[in-house]
Amino acid sequence: MVNASNKLLEVKEVHKVFGKGQSETKALKGVTFDVLPGEFLGIMGASGSGKTTLLNVIATMLKPTSGQILLEGQNISSFKGGQLAAYRGNHIGYLFQQFELIDNLTVKENIVLPLAIHGIHVSAQEQQLSELVNRFDIEELLNKFPSQLSGGQKQRVAAARALISNPSIVLADEPTGALDTKNAKVLMEKLSEHNQLHRSTILTVTHDANAASYCSRILFIQDGVIFHELRRNVLGESQEAFYERIVMVMAQLAGGSSNVL
Amino acid sequence: MFFDFVKRNSRQTRKENGVYFASLIVSIMAFYVILSLGEQDVMRYLKTIESDAVDRLLLLIPVLYGVSLVFVFFLVYFANRYQMQQRSHEFGMYLMMGMKQSKLFLMTMGEAILNSIMSLCIGLPIALFITELINLTTSRLVGMGIVGHAFRISWVGILLTICGFFLVQLLAMLILSFKLSRKEPNELLHEDKDKSQSTMTPKWGVVSLLSGATLLLGTIFLCIAYGMAILYLRNFDYSIFALILLIGIMGTFIMFRGLGSLIGFYVMKKGKSTTGISMFTARQLQENVLHQWSSLAISSLLILMAMVCFAFGTFTALTNDAVSTRTVDYTFNDEKAEIQAVVQSEELAPYIEQFYGMALHNFYASEDESTLNFHFAWSGLMEEISSATDSEAKNILINNFSQKGNPYFISLSSYNDMLQAAGKEQIVLADNEVAMYSSEVTGAPYDVLKDLLQKEPTIEIADKEYTLASNLYSDNIVADRAITLMYALIVPDTLFTQYFDVVDTWLWNMTLKSDFVKEKGLMQAMLEVDQVLNTMDVQFESYLASMGRQLFYTVAATYTTFYLGVMFLLIANTVLGLNFLMQQRSTRSRYETLVMLGANVHSICLSARKQIWLYFILAITVALISGSFGIWSLLTALPAAEFNVRNISVIGLVVLLFIIIEVIYIRMIQRKSDAEIQKLNDID
Ligand SMILES: Nc1ncnc2c1ncn2[C@@H]1O[C@H](COP(=O)(O)OP(=O)(O)OP(=O)(O)O)[C@@H](O)[C@H]1O
Ligand SMILES: [Mg+2]
Repeated sequence: MVNASNKLLEVKEVHKVFGKGQSETKALKGVTFDVLPGEFLGIMGASGSGKTTLLNVIATMLKPTSGQILLEGQNISSFKGGQLAAYRGNHIGYLFQQFELIDNLTVKENIVLPLAIHGIHVSAQEQQLSELVNRFDIEELLNKFPSQLSGGQKQRVAAARALISNPSIVLADEPTGALDTKNAKVLMEKLSEHNQLHRSTILTVTHDANAASYCSRILFIQDGVIFHELRRNVLGESQEAFYERIVMVMAQLAGGSSNVL
Repeated sequence: MFFDFVKRNSRQTRKENGVYFASLIVSIMAFYVILSLGEQDVMRYLKTIESDAVDRLLLLIPVLYGVSLVFVFFLVYFANRYQMQQRSHEFGMYLMMGMKQSKLFLMTMGEAILNSIMSLCIGLPIALFITELINLTTSRLVGMGIVGHAFRISWVGILLTICGFFLVQLLAMLILSFKLSRKEPNELLHEDKDKSQSTMTPKWGVVSLLSGATLLLGTIFLCIAYGMAILYLRNFDYSIFALILLIGIMGTFIMFRGLGSLIGFYVMKKGKSTTGISMFTARQLQENVLHQWSSLAISSLLILMAMVCFAFGTFTALTNDAVSTRTVDYTFNDEKAEIQAVVQSEELAPYIEQFYGMALHNFYASEDESTLNFHFAWSGLMEEISSATDSEAKNILINNFSQKGNPYFISLSSYNDMLQAAGKEQIVLADNEVAMYSSEVTGAPYDVLKDLLQKEPTIEIADKEYTLASNLYSDNIVADRAITLMYALIVPDTLFTQYFDVVDTWLWNMTLKSDFVKEKGLMQAMLEVDQVLNTMDVQFESYLASMGRQLFYTVAATYTTFYLGVMFLLIANTVLGLNFLMQQRSTRSRYETLVMLGANVHSICLSARKQIWLYFILAITVALISGSFGIWSLLTALPAAEFNVRNISVIGLVVLLFIIIEVIYIRMIQRKSDAEIQKLNDID
């Protein structure tokens, strides 16, 4: 599906309200942004600012109260049951903080699960599988069960699962949240490698400036609206330099200053 | 305030958990059905004719009640455990919010009591209705519409039901609440999170190899048990029986222990070629089997017991019916003149259709100086028996016929009178032919004998040889048990009168007018005539006693075995069903992951339904295989039932009942599972 503007994902004026009356919480108050194909986009913000809500709305786990989400020109926020199922795991890949591997399936079974669910024969993706397995360094683990893996290994398996069906976009909520620094670094390296090599599109929510420094662009969200955007300079800005800039914005966010660069 | 809270929770439970309440209601029914046995029309009626036996059965009821207490306890315990597990998160929250353990305990107990009262309010009327239904069906089947039906409530039964139910419910809740009180709030909050795959984790290969070996071992054990059942169960010996049971039970447990590996192997093999979530289905099933092997084995054994109970109940009902063919209504035992006076009396005469003597006599010289030749030998028959193929039955026959002592002679005309009165075809004997008679003709030896009679073997009476007719006769020659004959000969009157005087006849048979019987029903008619006879000074026995006895044993055996069978089946199903739902609940996050990976809810429901089918079928199949051996050896021990249309349809009905109970249960669990999975789809 080609669309004229060449935008992969368009989020238009998305509002999300939880509860009713007294206990009403406005989690998203009109979020608008686009994602281009091949972007590695980060979303950052303080706790309670609405990051998870935004991701869940894009992920079709929540319905927006108003607004539209177009993925490859299709308004997925209006999808129902069967249509949703066709998108999940196929056009959209997920990566979760708690990995969410199914622990009575082997690593290999977990990775190919999205294919199986969508009725695609594993043999058709054998090439893809071995490439992912190599990239995420999990060849040895294929016949093990999740409970036999370390956290870092689990998340790399989850990443392979998210990517196996060549989704248009991978959504990740704090993928490094449950990992130590070393494992977080390895995971982000592998993801950005894959992103650069295959021009796969990744959208990740993170608290961690280190993890965020692998992204090509970062959206800062505060009180349910996008409040700032950082773009890594295409002309060879080093990761360290980008990291410094992120940390600066975060400091201002924490300080509550309303006018940032 | 606290009470309101309890009340609200209890209502919530009722609305949300039909399975739980169904289990409680079934328990209540189980108690009342057995406790009200004495109030059943059939039993009340039988008390009037077989009071001893009925009283003995009623003494057995406390034992059955005790047994039910134990079984129902398991049922209730399981149902409550499921219920508690479903709510553990809620309980954890209460504790986190500062509720005291003691208060939580009071709350759960309060809810248990409230739930019990609610279940009793629903369950007791249902129980009354079910017993009434059973009552009507049995009296209908037994043909006692005439007895006069009255709706009766057994107050003692209700009281004991309430006591028993509260006892098991409170005991189960006490145990569970105690377990609950020992858990940390945090544990409760995360109770429904996945438990790690402990059985599968380390050294998967070794584990699977080991469990493969156990599977093989279990199967071998079971086969040995089956083999022993075939070889030895017929000549019943307690120690062998116990051994078979022990090996069979062990085999079942060990086999289920190892079965998980088989599914694992299947998953490995199929791994490459599957699409959809069949892999997930298979893995879930495998995990269920690996974790729940012991309850699977127990359920399977319970289902096996239920099957054997059903088979036993059905076949007692059918065979007893086959034996109790009615030929004679009354038999008097006195001098001819006395009896004739009675029979021709004004009171009795209007009832009588047929009256005749049953002339029979032991073939031996009553006076020493008799000049008649009393020589007798089974010679030709013995030869035939000896030349038959070797078998246990053959040895029994040889033993029977080599006994000293001569058989009874029955005069042909008496026997034919009896046949005619019973509306059967009369016997015609050829020259030099006599017919063989026996009161009891079921069992292997008789089958061999019947075959041998086809070869027309001979016997010797005095100096003559006689051929035996090719039929073995066994119609009742008296009303009840005035005389039973192991082997006798029906001989032509000419031969009979050569030796015995017909005047010596001491058994007199009578049948009632068929119009009268038709009008009143056999039981009622006989009861009326019994009353008339009781006023006269005459010794008699009536078919009613024989019928009552048989009816009693049939009803008692069928009722109790069916009762136990249904109980076993319900408990097995509850254990299986709730186990499944509990596992599904604790692996809820896997289902969530599936939804997020794009599996549609419908296909997940299908996967769960398939898991449920397979899980049940696994237990049922093993039970079915063991059951067919068990039932087969049971049937060889019981007198053979005829396989006519009616019997086959009865057997068909029982099988249908079994299948219906299973399907209803499976569907119920599937619905509950569907509802749980549907919740995953709720996005707002
Ligand atoms: N299911 C819900 N019902 C009601 N309110 C909700 C729900 N989910 C989130 N909220 C509210 O919406 C707001 C945004 O929550 P969200 O989870 O998106 O924050 P977040 O940015 O992901 O925070 P964190 O960094 O702590 O994960 C919060 O105020 C939260 O209380
Ligand atoms: Mg969040």
